[in-house]
Amino acid sequence: MSRFFGTAALLLILLSITAMGQDSETLLFGSLQTMFFNQKSNVTLSAPLSTGAMNISEERSTFAVQQMDLFLRKDIGESFSAFVDLEFQLNYSSNNRWGSMSLQEAWLNYEPTDAFSVKVGMLYPAFNNLNEVKNRLALLPYVFRPGVYERLLSSLYMSENFVPEHAFVQISGAVPVEQFFFDYAAYVGNAESSYISYSDSYGSPVNDLDTKFEFLSGVDPNSFDVKLFGGRLGLRSRTENFKAGFSLTHDYDNLNDTTQFPQMYTGPRAPLIGDASRVRLGADLSGRIGPVNFESEVIKVLYDHEPAERRDIELDLLFYYTMLGYHVTDRLFLYGSYEGGNSTFDEKWKRNTVTAGASYRISAAVAAKAQYITYRQFRDEALRLDEVVIKFVFLGFSIVL
Amino acid sequence: MKWSSSLYFSDSALYYDASMKTHFFIAFLVTGIVLLTCSSLAQTVVIVNTSVPSSTSFDVDELLDVYTLNKAHWEDGSRITVFDLKRGKSKAAFYEYIGMSEEELQRIWLRKQFTGRARPPRSLSSEEEIVERVGRTPGAIGYVQNQSVKNNRNVRVVAKIKGTK
Repeated sequence: MSRFFGTAALLLILLSITAMGQDSETLLFGSLQTMFFNQKSNVTLSAPLSTGAMNISEERSTFAVQQMDLFLRKDIGESFSAFVDLEFQLNYSSNNRWGSMSLQEAWLNYEPTDAFSVKVGMLYPAFNNLNEVKNRLALLPYVFRPGVYERLLSSLYMSENFVPEHAFVQISGAVPVEQFFFDYAAYVGNAESSYISYSDSYGSPVNDLDTKFEFLSGVDPNSFDVKLFGGRLGLRSRTENFKAGFSLTHDYDNLNDTTQFPQMYTGPRAPLIGDASRVRLGADLSGRIGPVNFESEVIKVLYDHEPAERRDIELDLLFYYTMLGYHVTDRLFLYGSYEGGNSTFDEKWKRNTVTAGASYRISAAVAAKAQYITYRQFRDEALRLDEVVIKFVFLGFSIVL
Repeated sequence: MKWSSSLYFSDSALYYDASMKTHFFIAFLVTGIVLLTCSSLAQTVVIVNTSVPSSTSFDVDELLDVYTLNKAHWEDGSRITVFDLKRGKSKAAFYEYIGMSEEELQRIWLRKQFTGRARPPRSLSSEEEIVERVGRTPGAIGYVQNQSVKNNRNVRVVAKIKGTK
């Protein structure tokens, strides 16, 4: 019931803001992506199940509203602006408990000059190329984003292990240098979400680690040294046809909560318990030369966790992807991509994804998208044991609202 | 009768032909003069609201930064409001001048709008609207054909696009 009233109140606020949009110059806009997907998966086992089966195959198909984002923007005076991103995922319905609705960004920006700005509030921090636009599906040619950014793969890739999800204060700017802009950003935010207090099934705030904040949910009860610190330095051409940069963050991975371990990790969990110091390094390169588009990122996650070192357990993670595309016409874009790395702590499991896709811009506001993906994770390359292969076909429409 | 009729017709046709040649020549000459006059008048110009600091540079790089929304403030710190035309010769000339295609600019605008970095330019249908809106919006910038500016005292022509004469 409270969910219903919450949603109703939110809609009322949005409608009233829209109604006074002309006077207050508040912009309401958004994006929507609908999709159909077919998934065929095949799991090969090294040892038979109790039924004697060595292979498990399944197929599923579904239609869905993949994601809808509503944005609000308001310019306040000469130097301030405010921005809100409200996200609805997967046929969201509070009544049916489908999908999710979440506040992804809500911040105030103070920008006295083009070379300096301060954002305060919940925001997507600058990290590589895609992190700031990972949920702006209308900007991307993909239906299914590169692994660490794809919410549909959240059970396989734990995004937070690779990229900073949110920050709360960010200083950034762009300084013109000849035909380029030198971009910089530095930010601080809460520890990863597994540290943040949440509500249990009875609605009471819970935090597994610290009882001090148990009168609130959605807050980080840790001391300041456990917070997220990070930044990005980059170079971008004036025409925005070239962009490159390096990113770095430091925070802690919550290994106290063993449910937060990567899904494929099969090693001992209990000995690793603790706050694991973690540095995420990123490099990105993207651009366009004539009709050719390219985009690539590398993310290396380095751990400094004494309990793991003592047992010689490798915790470091790696993710990389590269996309090469061709604008056949102003409307039609074809691309292929490859991504790989390991997302487990013991490096026994590796994974790669090969994609081919097309995006056709029907109008300035509507694009049709198609994507074929082969995702593979495997434990032993030579013997192909314990191999999982999933093939996806995605068809979708992306709409600018 | 047929022959005479035919001859008469033929004479008439010859007369008609000679008369039309003269008329066509005069019409061609007048049209040419009008077109030449118009083309010397029709030039794409960049206009700003008179509140924009007069010391501001408006070379091609500055205009590129303004229209890619990388420059959001004038030198005095006031916010830039960008106006764009939905279609027309001025738009083609201006985009060519700054070296961007419509598709490229829309991609950049959408990314900046969706990340909250900037609000997209207001796209208007006519040059008269551009002049009127730039004239009444402090910090505004737009582009039009020079004859559209007329005697609007609230706008200032700050750049002329080469090659549009």
